[in-house]
Amino acid sequence: MFSNYVKIAIRSILKNKLYAIINVLGLSVGLAIYLFGGLLSDYEYSHDSFFKNFDRIYTLRGNVSPQANIGVSQIDTVQSAVGPFIKSDIPDVDAVARTILREFLITVGEDNYYQSVRFTDPELLKIFDFDFIHGDETALDGSNGIIISETLAQKYFGNENPVGQSITLDHENDLTVMAVIRDIPKNSHFNSQILMSTPLGILIPMRAMERITEFQPDTNWGNTSSGNMTYVLLPPSLDQAWLQTQLDGIYERHMPDEQKEFMDSFEVRPLADANTAIWDMLGIPVITVVKLLGIIVLLIACVNYTNLATAQSMGRAREVGLRKTLGAGRTQLLLQFIVESLTITFFAMILALATLEIIIPLFNSATGKILNINYLNTLPWLLMTTMVVGILSGSYPAYVITKTSPIEALRDTARKGRAATIIRAIMISIQFTFSVCILAMVLVVYAQNDKVEESSRIFPKDQVYTLDRINVDQMTDRHEVLRNEMLSIPYVNDFTLSSQVPYEQTNSNIRASKILNDFSQTVNINQLNIDDHFVSTYDIPMVAGRNISRDIAMDTHLRSQGAVNVLINESAAKALGFSTPEAALNQVFYEDEKEKGITTYTIVGVMADRNILGLFNSVKPFFFFMRDASYRLASIKLSKNAPVSVVKDIEEVWHGVYPDYPMQGKFLNETFQKVYMIFDMGTKSLAVFAFIALFLAAIGLFGLAAFMAEQRTKEIGIRKVLGASNNQIVRLLIWQFSTPVLWATPIALILAYLASGRYLEFFAERIGLPYGMLLGAGLCGLLLSWMTVATHAFNIAKTNPINALHYE
Amino acid sequence: MLKLQDLTKAYRTDEVETVALNNVNIEIETGEFVAIMGPSGCGKSTLLNIIGMLDTPSSGHYFFKDEDVAGYSESQLGVIRKQHIGFIFQSFNLIDELTVAENIELALLYHDIPAAERRERVAAVMDKVGIAHRAKHMPSQLSGGQQQRVAVARAVVGNQSMILADEPTGNLDTAHGQEVMEMLQKLNEEGTTIVMVTHSPSHADYARRTINLLDGHVVTESMRSKI
Repeated sequence: MFSNYVKIAIRSILKNKLYAIINVLGLSVGLAIYLFGGLLSDYEYSHDSFFKNFDRIYTLRGNVSPQANIGVSQIDTVQSAVGPFIKSDIPDVDAVARTILREFLITVGEDNYYQSVRFTDPELLKIFDFDFIHGDETALDGSNGIIISETLAQKYFGNENPVGQSITLDHENDLTVMAVIRDIPKNSHFNSQILMSTPLGILIPMRAMERITEFQPDTNWGNTSSGNMTYVLLPPSLDQAWLQTQLDGIYERHMPDEQKEFMDSFEVRPLADANTAIWDMLGIPVITVVKLLGIIVLLIACVNYTNLATAQSMGRAREVGLRKTLGAGRTQLLLQFIVESLTITFFAMILALATLEIIIPLFNSATGKILNINYLNTLPWLLMTTMVVGILSGSYPAYVITKTSPIEALRDTARKGRAATIIRAIMISIQFTFSVCILAMVLVVYAQNDKVEESSRIFPKDQVYTLDRINVDQMTDRHEVLRNEMLSIPYVNDFTLSSQVPYEQTNSNIRASKILNDFSQTVNINQLNIDDHFVSTYDIPMVAGRNISRDIAMDTHLRSQGAVNVLINESAAKALGFSTPEAALNQVFYEDEKEKGITTYTIVGVMADRNILGLFNSVKPFFFFMRDASYRLASIKLSKNAPVSVVKDIEEVWHGVYPDYPMQGKFLNETFQKVYMIFDMGTKSLAVFAFIALFLAAIGLFGLAAFMAEQRTKEIGIRKVLGASNNQIVRLLIWQFSTPVLWATPIALILAYLASGRYLEFFAERIGLPYGMLLGAGLCGLLLSWMTVATHAFNIAKTNPINALHYE
Repeated sequence: MLKLQDLTKAYRTDEVETVALNNVNIEIETGEFVAIMGPSGCGKSTLLNIIGMLDTPSSGHYFFKDEDVAGYSESQLGVIRKQHIGFIFQSFNLIDELTVAENIELALLYHDIPAAERRERVAAVMDKVGIAHRAKHMPSQLSGGQQQRVAVARAVVGNQSMILADEPTGNLDTAHGQEVMEMLQKLNEEGTTIVMVTHSPSHADYARRTINLLDGHVVTESMRSKI
């Protein structure tokens, strides 16, 4: 019997190929997104589960006070001073360990590499059961021994056993390799907890940190850099709530008061949450949203299937009536129809899996994850999904078609009521509202990105080549040598040193006062250390006064002197209360540097406003002055016609000046792209989503049109007999079939208008309210809907009216 | 009015060819009332559909007002059809969502007639068939006889010179059937050509001429003097 059902199902699918294809496509899109959401969330929540103590390990985060005003409500770290208090105050915990991330220049023999390292407490090895290839858990017991990963061992020492070999940090500190561990799998927070990739490469004992960096981890209440962790291992008998109570106690007893203003409380999180910390910080539960979207999209696909299948089943009323007259029971008929939808769902599932097999590797290479479909483990889930979707979407059409009496069915008079059609139309309206709205947003976001890109051209970002990390002590002495050598290269037109280059999202500001010894009324001004060639390298015109010069002693700040001549930008002049740039000249402002005393800044020149931070930021007040040894970057300006090979020349010169340091060079455009990419990726994901939403909405509309067409064949027949031409019929139908879209469009556009207003507020330099684009999106949706229903309209208009009107 | 010459209609599927009409020769004069009779499957409805230009012949000639329309395209036929031919069906074929008046007006919508004139003509024709008091009702609120009267009104409201009726009384009881036949007779007396397919010999008696079909052939034609 069952095989008979399947046979009939497949035959009926083959008979209506177009419907079958549309149904399979629609459902497979829904299934693919649903499965992807599920896989992604499984993947994210199964991070680190290969560690033996996985469910006993907890990490600490800090809840940021609202008055701290740093844009996030949580940070993924607590101050490194907290760890020792856990050790001393809570004897019941099994182990506590901190990690602090830093980047160093590593020298092995003749070779230099930049590498991020983790300083850590030796108890880390009690918490995580790393897989030792060489050496053992005692590796960090000394103060010079380090652990390196398999990959780094291979990179630094080739195939030989590196234990006992030494490496040097920043040409100063020698450390000895004591152990090698296997690489941590990618699905660990060690690899993916923060956006930038900082895999676990080198572990150095925490007690070596002060010697190497002058940073005192045990007394640090000030620094909370993202990516620094505090881990706690609990015995099996204790749980998260208990640890939270203990930590609240530590917060009360030990947190300095000024820090309490910044951080409200500590929060204990299981290790499983560590890799999604970034989303918690931003307050967007991305994984939950992705999962929820998957379910919503799948539901929409199911509803669309139901619509289309119900419409299509109308045409089979006679078959059903016949079967009933021949003695088929209701249950058997229901089963037959459900088997049919199960068959469709089955094909859709196969297509969805095939799609995922293509998409997941692309996703993996774009995000550095290692998602995969483990068919053995997910088989029950896949089967359940197929069953549920098949039954869910197949039962309504099955119910409708089998409930009519055989006589009615044979007479083909089974017609659905208006109410059901209206509900369908509303659902399609909602889908179109949603998708046209996203489409409009895509256009707005795209145009705004374009605007950001366009404004960024104010700096010659393709002409400037920057060299990073030139602020190491041994390098600063030779900055002038570097300058002279670089300027001697053909096509190099200019050279400047600065503490920051455009597009870097760093704010280092002071509170400036115009009145000496009175700091009750201050303005925030960003500080940037530059040399005398910054304005020429970055094409910034002076609007008043003069540029700074190395020939004037007071233009260069020395540590011993409390005064310096500075440049400001127009915004700073305004912020400081000067009516014109000229009025600011030779005026002073002060900064209270506490122990170091008060510094006096004298304005000698005003630069035109240029958006140093660029991107979404507004132009901020800046002041600029020269201070040797404060420069982190060199910017080399090339002439427009410079050949690609000039980078080679730069590298050669670099190695001549700094033979011990690898060059960290890139075009300024790359600095820009690094941040711009986030917006760009946002737009692209949104575009993909808009495409999927529109596709599903179109399928839904197709189903609705099919349904209405089925209901109206008789009416159309009459109209044709009465003399309506094909064109008149097509116009009428297209118009009426797209009514749900006509309703949806204005609502979608209003929503998009409001949403784009909110979105654009984020940007200081923004496009005007994009009415044209909104209308364009609306038009797109309308055109798409017309194209979708046109097939039906033409088909009905083409049918010979006697087919519809003929009696049996 | 019209003349069918050696007209043949065959339906072809992959393997079988079914001949519905075979070498039919019929002439119908303007103002005639012709009944077409015959057993089920003899080709009555096919013949009516071809006369009504809802279908095209496989071969032969169809002269409508001396114009051979046999090879005309669908849209050309549509133009002739809406000017000259009105239809009445067994199952009435009114649109359920429109009122009586709107159903009748539908026939004028495709004729470029101003709204005011449309209303006048609809009102006039409703008076003529005696359903003016039902103008605002929906078809489902009417009896079968009333529905068919609406259909008749719709068929003639455009001043069509010929009415094709496919078993117009098939769904009606005797009394209502009688009523509709009398109405058709009255229209015929006013000059409208009527071609009617029917199974009922008594209703065929209203016609001046009866054509009997069997297996796609015209077997007999009988004239009768007016009753």
